[in-house]
Amino acid sequence: MLTIAISKGRMQDATLALFARAGIEAKEEALRSRRLLIETADGRCSFIFVKPGDVPTYVEYGVADAGVCGRDVLLESRAEVHEPLDLKLGYCRLAVAGRREVLGEDYNLLATVRVATKFPRITSEYFHERGIPIEVITLSGSVEIAPLLGLSDRVVDLVETGRTLRENGLEVIDVIMESTARLIVNRASFHLKREEISRLIADVGAVVE
Amino acid sequence: MSSLTKIPAGVQYFFDDEARLRREVERRVMSVFAGWSYDEIILPMFDYHDLFARGMGADQAERTYRFTDRDGALLALRPELTSLVARTVATRFLRRARPIRLCYSGEVFRYDEPAERAAREFHQLGVEHIGQPGAAADIEILLVATEAISSLGIRDFRIALAHVDFFNGVSEYLQLRDADRARLRELIDRRNSQALDEFLQQRAPQVEAERRRGFCRLTQIAGKQDALDGARAVLVNERSRAAVEELARVYATLDALGLAEHFDIDLGDAGGLEYYTGLTFKVYAPGWGAEIGGGGRYDHLIGNFGAPEPAVGFSLSLDALTGARAGSRSNPAQQSSDDAEHIARGDDYAEAFRAAREVRLRGGKVIVKSS
Repeated sequence: MLTIAISKGRMQDATLALFARAGIEAKEEALRSRRLLIETADGRCSFIFVKPGDVPTYVEYGVADAGVCGRDVLLESRAEVHEPLDLKLGYCRLAVAGRREVLGEDYNLLATVRVATKFPRITSEYFHERGIPIEVITLSGSVEIAPLLGLSDRVVDLVETGRTLRENGLEVIDVIMESTARLIVNRASFHLKREEISRLIADVGAVVE
Repeated sequence: MSSLTKIPAGVQYFFDDEARLRREVERRVMSVFAGWSYDEIILPMFDYHDLFARGMGADQAERTYRFTDRDGALLALRPELTSLVARTVATRFLRRARPIRLCYSGEVFRYDEPAERAAREFHQLGVEHIGQPGAAADIEILLVATEAISSLGIRDFRIALAHVDFFNGVSEYLQLRDADRARLRELIDRRNSQALDEFLQQRAPQVEAERRRGFCRLTQIAGKQDALDGARAVLVNERSRAAVEELARVYATLDALGLAEHFDIDLGDAGGLEYYTGLTFKVYAPGWGAEIGGGGRYDHLIGNFGAPEPAVGFSLSLDALTGARAGSRSNPAQQSSDDAEHIARGDDYAEAFRAAREVRLRGGKVIVKSS
C-alpha cells in the first residue's frame, strides 16, 4: 500500500479530484470527516493531509511514499525526492512585489533591501544572484501587510489572481517562477515499491489535463 | 544556553539496546567482509584537507570540518574513508600483490546542507577491491554487499544498478554545453520525464521522437531485463552501448546466482559522475527513507595519489542499517543485566570481590550490589 501526502488547503480539492479520475478515490464519508489519514476505497493507497510546506518533508523521510505539493514549496524545501509528474493544477506565480508609489526606485541602489516572505531560501537566492544585499524577514502568513506597516521594502509571495496584492496597494515587480502542483516520490519507495509507484505515475499521468 | 544541556546539531549518543544493536550489526557485517578475505584497515580520524580535496574533489571537501595543525597546515575531520584507503594503497602498498581487498568501519564527519535535518556524524562500513578491472570484481563486491545485508535479517532490500557511461554516452552524443549537461542530469535524477522530453526536443531536435520518448521512459522507472532491452533500443553511441552491455553481463551473473529479485537496472541514476567510472549502485531497504549504502567502480581515484589502478568498492551506513534493522521483528541485541549473577557486597570487600572474580574466571557475568 502507498501512503500519499496531500497538501491541505488551496490545492486539496483539485488534487483529490485528479486522483479520483485516476481511479484512486477516497470514500465520501471519510473525506467529510476531519480525519487526517484515510484509505482509498480500493485499499490501494492511504492519503494523509498535511500543511503544504510539510509535504516534501514527509516524502523525503519516507513516512509518505509520494505526495503532491507546489513547485514553489518543493524548491524552498530542497527536499531530495523524485519529481516524476507535473499535475498542471494549482497554478500560481511566486513574485516580488512592492508598494505602488515606490516602484520607480531602483532597489539595487538601496543599501540593504528588507524582504518579507514565506520563502526565505528562494528569496535569498533570487537577490543574491542579482548582487543585491538583502535582509530576509521570514513570516508565516499575511505577508502583504509588511510593506504597508514599514516592516519591509518588498515582499516575495505567491500570486494567483493578484487581488490580495492590489487590495493592499502592492504591485508585482518581477516573477521569480511559475508554479504548479507536482507529484513527488520518496527515493527509497521508488525502488522498494517500484510496481505500485510505476502504476501510480502511469494512472495519474494519464488523466493530467 | 548551557553547554551542559545543549548538544551540537548532528552529533549522536547511543546507549542500551541501541548501542548493543549497533555493535552487533557492525560485528556481523565485518565478519561477512572478513569471510570474503577483506582485511580491516584502521584509518586516522583526521588528515590534511588537501588529501580529501584530491580524493573526492573540491566540492565534497568543502563539506568537511576544518582546523589547523600547530604548524598552520589545514586539516579536516575525515568526510569519507575511500580517499584515505586510496592514498595508503598508492603510497605504501606498492609491492603488495593485486588485487588488494580492504575493509573498514568508522565514523565520518560531514557538514551537510540543510544542516538542521542531517546527521553530521555517520558510521560507515565498507570495502575496497583494488587492482582488478572488469566485471568479476564488480560482481564480487555486489555479492559481499548482498550477504552483509542479508546477514542482518533484512529481507526485501533492493540494489539499483547503474553505469556512469550510459549518461556520459548520451550527453556526449548530444554535444551539450556544461550547463545543459548539468540540466539534463538534474532532470534525469528528479525523474522529471515531461520536462526531460521538452528539454530534449529543444536541445536535441535531431533525435527522432520515438527514440526520445523511449529514453524518457527508460530513465523514469527502473526495471530488470526489460530495462536492458529498452536501453538497447534507444542506444545512441558506442560508449552507452558498452555501458549497457557491461550491466547486462553483471545482471545475467546475478540472475544465474538466483539473486535477481534483489537487483534492479536503474538507468535514471546519474549520480556520482565526478567520481565513478563504471558500474554504480545504491542500496535501499524497507524502514529507511533514503539509500542505506552504495558504491561503484572508481578507476581514476588512486591515480590522484600515485600510479593509476582500477578499483571498486562500496559502503553501508551503520545508522541506516540499524534503523532498517530496528524496524524488523526481532532484535538480536536485546540483552540486559538480568542474566548477571548478583553478589551482595557487605563490609568485607575482599570476600565480595573474590566471589565476583570467581564468576568472571568461569566466564560468567557479574554485578556487585551494595547490600
